[in-house]
Amino acid sequence: MTLDVSLEEPLSPVPVGPVPGDLAPERRDSLLHALRHGRGLVGVVLVATVVVLGVLGPLVAPYGPTEQIKGANLLGPGAGHWLGTDELNRDILSRTLYGIRVDLVVVFAAVPVGAAAGVFLGLVTSWWTVTDVIAQRAFDLLLAFPALILGILLTAFLGPGVLTVGVVIVALEIPVFGRLVRTSVRTVREMPFVEASQVVGAGPWWVLRRHVLPNSLEPLTVQLAVSMSVAVFIEGAMSFLGLGVRPPHPSLGSLIKDGVRLLHEAPFFAVGPLAVVVALVLGLLLISQSLAEARRA
Amino acid sequence: MTRYLLSRLGSALLVTALASIGIFALIRLVPGDPVTVLAGPDATPAARDAIRAQLGLDQPFWSQYVHWLGDLARFDLGPSYKLGGDVGSLIADGALNTVVLTLFALVLAAVGAIVTSTAAVVGDRRWLNSLLSGLNTAAVAVPTFATALVLVLVFAVRFPVLPAGGTPPAGFFAQPDIALQYLLLPGIALALPAWAALTRFLTEALRTQMRQPYVTTARALGIPRRRIVLTQALRNALPSTVTVLGLQLGTLLGGAILVEAVFAWPGLGRLVEQGISARDYPVVQVLLLLSVVVFVVTQLATDVIHAWLDPRVRLNGVS
Amino acid sequence: MSTPVPAPPRRRLIRLAGALVVLLTLVTATACSSAVDDLKTSSGERKEGGVLRVGALQDIVPARIFTNSSDSINVLIGSVYDSLIDYPRDSLEPQPSLATTWQLSDDGKQLTLQLRDDVKFHSGRPFTSKDVEFSIKTWADPAWTVQLQRTAAAITGFDTSDEHAITLTFAHPLSNIFDLLDMLPIIDRDTIDQLREGKAFVGTGPFEFDAWSPGAKISFKRNDAYWRGKPALDGIEVSVIPDPQAQVAQLRSHQLDLILGASYRDFESLGKDDQFHVNQWAGAEGQVYVGTNVTNPALSDIRVRQAIAYALDRERVVDEVLRGAGVPISAPWPDYSPAYDEKANATYDYDLDQAKKLVDEAKADGVAIPKLPLTYPSENPIYGAIAQIVQADLAKVGIEVELDPQEQAQVIQQLIGAKFPALWILSHGYANWTPSTLAVSAYPFNAEHNASLYVDKDYQAIADKVWNQKPGAVDPADYATLSKALLDGSFLLEIAITLPQDASSTQVHDIGQTKRGEPIFYDTYLTK
Repeated sequence: MTLDVSLEEPLSPVPVGPVPGDLAPERRDSLLHALRHGRGLVGVVLVATVVVLGVLGPLVAPYGPTEQIKGANLLGPGAGHWLGTDELNRDILSRTLYGIRVDLVVVFAAVPVGAAAGVFLGLVTSWWTVTDVIAQRAFDLLLAFPALILGILLTAFLGPGVLTVGVVIVALEIPVFGRLVRTSVRTVREMPFVEASQVVGAGPWWVLRRHVLPNSLEPLTVQLAVSMSVAVFIEGAMSFLGLGVRPPHPSLGSLIKDGVRLLHEAPFFAVGPLAVVVALVLGLLLISQSLAEARRA
Repeated sequence: MTRYLLSRLGSALLVTALASIGIFALIRLVPGDPVTVLAGPDATPAARDAIRAQLGLDQPFWSQYVHWLGDLARFDLGPSYKLGGDVGSLIADGALNTVVLTLFALVLAAVGAIVTSTAAVVGDRRWLNSLLSGLNTAAVAVPTFATALVLVLVFAVRFPVLPAGGTPPAGFFAQPDIALQYLLLPGIALALPAWAALTRFLTEALRTQMRQPYVTTARALGIPRRRIVLTQALRNALPSTVTVLGLQLGTLLGGAILVEAVFAWPGLGRLVEQGISARDYPVVQVLLLLSVVVFVVTQLATDVIHAWLDPRVRLNGVS
Repeated sequence: MSTPVPAPPRRRLIRLAGALVVLLTLVTATACSSAVDDLKTSSGERKEGGVLRVGALQDIVPARIFTNSSDSINVLIGSVYDSLIDYPRDSLEPQPSLATTWQLSDDGKQLTLQLRDDVKFHSGRPFTSKDVEFSIKTWADPAWTVQLQRTAAAITGFDTSDEHAITLTFAHPLSNIFDLLDMLPIIDRDTIDQLREGKAFVGTGPFEFDAWSPGAKISFKRNDAYWRGKPALDGIEVSVIPDPQAQVAQLRSHQLDLILGASYRDFESLGKDDQFHVNQWAGAEGQVYVGTNVTNPALSDIRVRQAIAYALDRERVVDEVLRGAGVPISAPWPDYSPAYDEKANATYDYDLDQAKKLVDEAKADGVAIPKLPLTYPSENPIYGAIAQIVQADLAKVGIEVELDPQEQAQVIQQLIGAKFPALWILSHGYANWTPSTLAVSAYPFNAEHNASLYVDKDYQAIADKVWNQKPGAVDPADYATLSKALLDGSFLLEIAITLPQDASSTQVHDIGQTKRGEPIFYDTYLTK
């Protein structure tokens, strides 16, 4: 059980600010250690499995993601089609494998981009009071929109598509990481050794790079895992509302949507994609939990 | 305390004011012209201009904005462009449905969290902890739309014991027992992730309390564990939990969009969707502003409650 | 739930209390007065009155109230308004409604109708010949973008000297005049402004408009003074539920009595369930088609359009998407239409080789075919499925298509305004009426101005020719020429006739439907 699991509001309500001072090497190891054992290991295995499936998808998939197979209309799982076929005669297993890739892009591209942008903005603005106030209000503003409202609004500008999902996720992560880094900056700046280094002439960049960033790495790592699992949800929700990938291309969210629509006629349909989503989210959650735990230990 | 509250209030007002300008500008940047939507594709330029003037869209931006603020202040939001009816009543109708659903989910989540986490700490059995932890993780790892649909299929279609969606025909207050049944499935779907987050947090907070010296003292005095949890630890653990509860409210409102879509629940989420696709400026800008106001107010309220419950904040003004 | 150690009494008490809470919740949730049981009924006994709860996919759009472009508009028009004459669903023989008898002059340019003298609008005002004139002139006004606008505008003279009779003079004979009179709702001239704003819909029909909350509900109440006699139902409540899946779920849980929008697959599985009844309305057919904007550089080459026509797997659409409730077609007409021709109908049988050949020829001649957007309404699942089938087949013959699902209201707007960039999938009606109605009225076909922006002298000439003849006396050879003109032009590529379906619980009886697809609830009653 950890403190860092309020999934949707990733800023942990209890101060998780960094322990001041330089990171001791053994603490880095403890994070890695957490990922090699117990819950963390399970999480890593789950995520790695999904990633491998997604990366190797095109090699493993028996059919193309949009290939319509003559006569194979909504077949149940069987030898030819392990997960069955959909109402447009497409192989669900192949679609799931390709669908994972969309989520991988969202998880491993959009989230890091948003995180990097947030960290950068947070670092830069929090040093001076004026920019800090402005940035904080801007972050507040972005956080004030529920994710899906932001999604609907951005879709009005950009049209539905993977890119839109990515932009929404970047926009969501910037304030989250911005605020997290800001907390670190404010804490570290009060530290005697930082004040000392400033006295001997260290500029803001040096302090940010040498003291603040290393100190924020741990909470950032935990947050990254949490944000990634949120991103999987957002992709699913947006595809579910018709704001995500455009048909006929599959994503896990759109596959679940189709499967659930046909749950009466084809109860097997949603099982595969749903299992992948749950595995991915679960894996990321377990990783974030074990990291957070190791950090506090 | 007063100074702390005043500064919080000031920044809340600032965010709201900035948001109102941002939203007003943003909505006008959305591609697609409401005049075209309203006038129809075959309208003459003169007819378009007439409609534009009638809507005040020919005025400069700041004049439109000030005008809008005036309307907001008077609670006279005028007619919607496209969805029909008065903006105020559209939003009021939707808001009632969304608020009832969200509050219901919040209560479910909060009560559920208190019950499960005290059970976990009081019971403190390995199997109980694993069970709760498993349930908890499942509640977080399964997407809301999937739980919502599975609930419909199980409890409304396969075993039809609860309604599949829609709002109670007689309203929420005429027949509360019927209304409760309509609320139950969407409420559960919406509450599950919030319940999970709250449970985790509260359990952890309770555990922290149980490690405090006063608990050791109490145990030494022979006071049973259960009683310590229920009387002392819970009370001390609640303040920080209230903060999480406040944060969850925003999440719930966001999740309501999905749940409303699945359960054909005519709330604000559906209104936002329809409003944006129909380019109905008056409806959308008020809704967006509303979402900002709700967020700001919950944050403010959370801070206030937190300050009120936590003497350190109350006295020193640190958060 | 057992623990190895026997629990102390207090703990047991707590557990007992916990169990009680759970039990209590379950009891309140399921036992006391169940919302579901409340809605379910069991005996077959006829119920007096009652409100029929209908699920519709789309909301009403007041400015498009006369265009039949949404299912809730259909309910509104069918329930609130009457027309002068009625066609039975399966024929084109006019039957009396607000007009009791009629007389067409020998030259086909004048029609005198005797009107009922016992009809009142919902406002209480008596119905007169002036209302007929007003209603026709409203339809003729381009502002309402009505499909039969040209036919209404061809009525040039109105003799309303008798309150209970009207003589209409035409610019030329109108072969489809009775089509117009069947479709045209008689509206109240005093409340036209409220109608435009969606505040009041006043007609003479069996139900009165009661209230509309946009995006959610439209309700109607019984018109006790209806001239045919009081309807059995107390009222109708239409819920706008844009998600077909949600409609099916609510029908299954007995929160709705009738659903208008679900996929054919849903209807198929509902039909297998004893608790539900699926209606299929022969005579009110629609046609699902691929439209082409012929001004698009790629689509301006007829070979590309013909290639698309050859690449449409109509049999598969009928089998897999329409679940057999349809007929593959190349020409629009159903087999009972005077313009039906079996041979013409087989013009574009599925032939990917032929399609590929045509595309290659066009490309060889320098026609560039970029990725073409294919627009279709997102609400109704059949369009999405057909669009993806079309996309897959077109990819095989070398035409790349990008799917562009949009809300129905936006799609209709582009249809009316002829604003589609390239391809679109929609349904049209009117092929089951007098053939000229299709050629001069329907948005996608109107020879003067159609959604394809297809302009062709021969097509215009033959469309006018079949239009400018006396009703029922059109030369069959002209219809053959019309079909040929349509197929030669290939601006609108038919896929299949679709038989409209809806599903109701078995407690709903005697639902009707007009030829135009409006549900009729005048005779409808519920059983307990």
